[in-house]
This record gives sequence, C-alpha cells and structure tokens, in this order.
Amino acid sequence: MSVTPPTVSVLLTRGLFSENPVFRLALSLCPAVAVTTAVENGLMLGIAVFFVQVLSSMTASIFKKWINPKIRIPVYTIIIALWVTVMDMLLAAYFPSTYEKVGLYVKLIVAFAIIISRMELFAAKNPVLPSTFDGVGMGLGFLLAMLLAGAFRELLGNGSFFGYPLVHFQPLFLLVLPAGGFFTIGLIMALFNWVDLLRGNTLPKASGGHG
Amino acid sequence: MSGCQGCKPKNLSPPPSGRDLVKITIGLTIVCLISAALLGGLYSFTEPAKLRNGKAREAATLRALLEVPETGRIEEIRRYLTNDLRAVYLTPKFLIGLDENGIEKTREPVPEGLDEQKRDEWARARQPSRYVGRFFVGKQGEQVLGYVVEGVTTGYKAKVRFFVAMDGQMNLRGVEILEHEEDPGLGGEIVKRYFKNQFAGRSADEVQGIQVVKDPLVAEWKAALESLGPTPLSAWLPQHREELGRHKVIYAITGSTISSQAVTTGVQKTIANFRKRLELLKGAL
Repeated sequence: MSVTPPTVSVLLTRGLFSENPVFRLALSLCPAVAVTTAVENGLMLGIAVFFVQVLSSMTASIFKKWINPKIRIPVYTIIIALWVTVMDMLLAAYFPSTYEKVGLYVKLIVAFAIIISRMELFAAKNPVLPSTFDGVGMGLGFLLAMLLAGAFRELLGNGSFFGYPLVHFQPLFLLVLPAGGFFTIGLIMALFNWVDLLRGNTLPKASGGHG
Repeated sequence: MSGCQGCKPKNLSPPPSGRDLVKITIGLTIVCLISAALLGGLYSFTEPAKLRNGKAREAATLRALLEVPETGRIEEIRRYLTNDLRAVYLTPKFLIGLDENGIEKTREPVPEGLDEQKRDEWARARQPSRYVGRFFVGKQGEQVLGYVVEGVTTGYKAKVRFFVAMDGQMNLRGVEILEHEEDPGLGGEIVKRYFKNQFAGRSADEVQGIQVVKDPLVAEWKAALESLGPTPLSAWLPQHREELGRHKVIYAITGSTISSQAVTTGVQKTIANFRKRLELLKGAL
C-alpha cells in the first residue's frame, strides 16, 4: 500500500495534461460548462479553485491522522467550506475590488468534485508537502482547462478574447449557451485523447464523470 | 495506514455499532465547532471592514448616478412600516408618520448629533416599526438634483438588489445592480453596461410601459450603451437621444430572458411605488 509519492515535477505538471481534472478525469464538469462563457470568467473561477484546492489538500493532509475514516467525506466538505468562507470573508473585507469580480465564483466552489476527490485520493494518504504540490498541480490543471474552454467559447461564440472584439464574423452563438459548453468540453476532451494517442499512449477506459 | 479500506466495494464495512455512532457524532460535532469558532473569530475582524467598503462604494455609486458635484450632498430617507401598516419616514430633519391613507399625521424633529445607527434606533423607538426600504435625494443647496431609490426583485436564482436613479423631472438617470447571485456569463450579465444602461435617459412613464424583447442587440446600440458610464449621462444623452428613441424596448440578455425581465419588472415597480411615495412626501424633503 505504501507507494512512494510521485516526484515533485510530476505532481506539479500531471494536472495540466495527463490527469487534467476536466478533460481527462472528467471531474467538475458542471461548473466548467456553466462558467466558461468567456475567458475572464474561466480565469476567475480557475484562480479561486486553485487557492481552495491547495489549502484544502494541505489541511486534509495535516489532519489525516485525526480524521475518523467513517466520516472523512463530511469532514472534507467542512474543510472546503471553511476555506471557501475564509476566502470570501477576507476578499470582501480587504480586497473589495477583486471581490467584486471573484466573489460570485468563490461561493460556487464548495460543491466541486475535483477538490474533494484530490483530498480523498491523494491528500488522505500522502505527507503534507506532496499533497500541497498535488493541490497546486491539479489547481493549475483546472485553471488551464477553464482558460481553454473559455477562450474557445468566447472566440467562436462572441468573436472576442478577454472582452476585446477580435474577429469580425457572425459569431456561433450556440457556443455561449449551455449546450455549447458541452460541445466545447467534448471537443477539447477528444483533442486531449487524440494528442495522447499520438504520444503513443492507449485511450483510457470509459468511465463516468461527476459533478 | 490510510482510511480507504472502506471505499473498496469488496470489503464493504459493516454498519456502525452504537459505540461507533457515538464516536462519529462526537467527532463531527468537534469538527463543526472548531470550524464555527474559526469562522466566527474571522468574521468579527472582517465584517466591520466589509461594511465600511460597502458604505464607501455606495456613496461613490450614488454620486456617479446623480452626477452630484463636490459641493452637493446626498440625503438618505428611510422608510418604516408599523404593525398596523402605517408608513413612517425618517428624513435628515424629521420623523414623519403617515396615516393609512398616506396623509401626514405626525412630524417631529430628529435630535441632533446622532450617527446613522443611533438615528435608526431612535426612529424605531419613537414609532414602533420595522425598516422596509430607503431612497436618497441628491441636493445642491436647496435644489434637488435627483433621487436614487433602492429596489429589490426576484431574479433567476435569488434576490437582486439595485438602485434606480431619477432626476427631478422623473427621467431615469440609470440603474445600478448592487447585489445578485445570477449565473456568471448568463444572468450575471445584468451588471454589464450594455444591459443596465438601457434604462437611462428615458422618462419614468416610458420605462413603466417598456417591453423586454428577445431580439438581438445591434452592435452600434450596444457600443453606445457601453460608452455610458465612462461618459457621464449629461454628455452622453445629447449625442444618443435619437438612438434612444429608435430603441424603445429593453433587449434581453441572450439566454437570460428571466433575469432581464426580472430586473425590468423590478425597476418598473420601484418607480411606480416611488412616485406615489414622493407625492406624499413632497413638502418634507
């Protein structure tokens, strides 16, 4: 059972491609679809998730010895809710202009599957430092996924990038609507799989995703 | 060892014994208590700062909406409702009680030197009532520059709180969304200039009859709406009066007709109520 944890560089980078939370692990698809109508929205949510992921993974790893395995899931949920609320309060009090932009996204995070799954699958079994790096890697992977999906949808669905009008054609409005979110995630997921095949790996077995 | 034995389906753990149940209950309670204590402690630090930020932001929003110059001032009028549904208004100088027909019954001067919170407590002690809403009057000297009314409407997900600004002739100066929980990228777009600025520059009568349509918002009109804000209304309106006349509708946010309609209806109701109330209070402001 005692597997040596992967190296730091693997921990930090695997979230970006090989174990990308959204496009490879198919976790947290609901927020990915709902929020990525524009790059800015994706970026804000990505940053918020990044911090909560790192802090929650760290906390779960520090306290793993004292967490009764029978109630670990509710305890993880409380840890996430705690960090989300702490961030919400601190931002509202000391960074009001940032809070105006990010506040909405921070409140969404409590129910994210990716965060709880990293706590359960990694932080609960590994020391604090690797768990923190795992949180950083997965947080970055989620951020990248949000940026990719946001850029694709904003560019084709609205003809702009980061709010600046860029291309002048009749935008494919469908992409901004929720249905377009599913198409976007599906297409990028296919792209990830295709690149993975080109790199000589076999396709992952079919498995279900979670909210 | 890890605690993940229980998550493999082949060794499903047996149902917890009574002893386990007690341990679990105590464990969870402790975790919740610690979390609550941490959050409570943090809250007592952050809440005053949060309130201060809110006040400062509110003052800036009010000044911008009414274009109140440095020398001007903004007065808050608070509205209370007694248990037998009579309205009571707290102005900077007077506490005014109306009877059930809206006729002024009592008027007493507000003691001087009270801060905002003390004034509120004093008012509710004089006339047992609860706070139900407020509006603001922008003044320069004795001249009324305009009114800002706070309104609430039910959006797609939760309450949407907003300001409606009007000048002395009941023309809308703008709508500002203060608080909402609509979805980012969809209903959340109500805060964007291209939506909220569609109300500005129209008469209250026009807004009260205005329709929300699902037609696309044409590029030039969108660009014009986006420029209001950086350009104050007084400079913007003369340039865009003709366009404003051509677009006598509110263009719904694509994919968020419910949020768009909710804000529009909320603004309409807020204006209608405010006009009635202002009529009753005219002499006291």
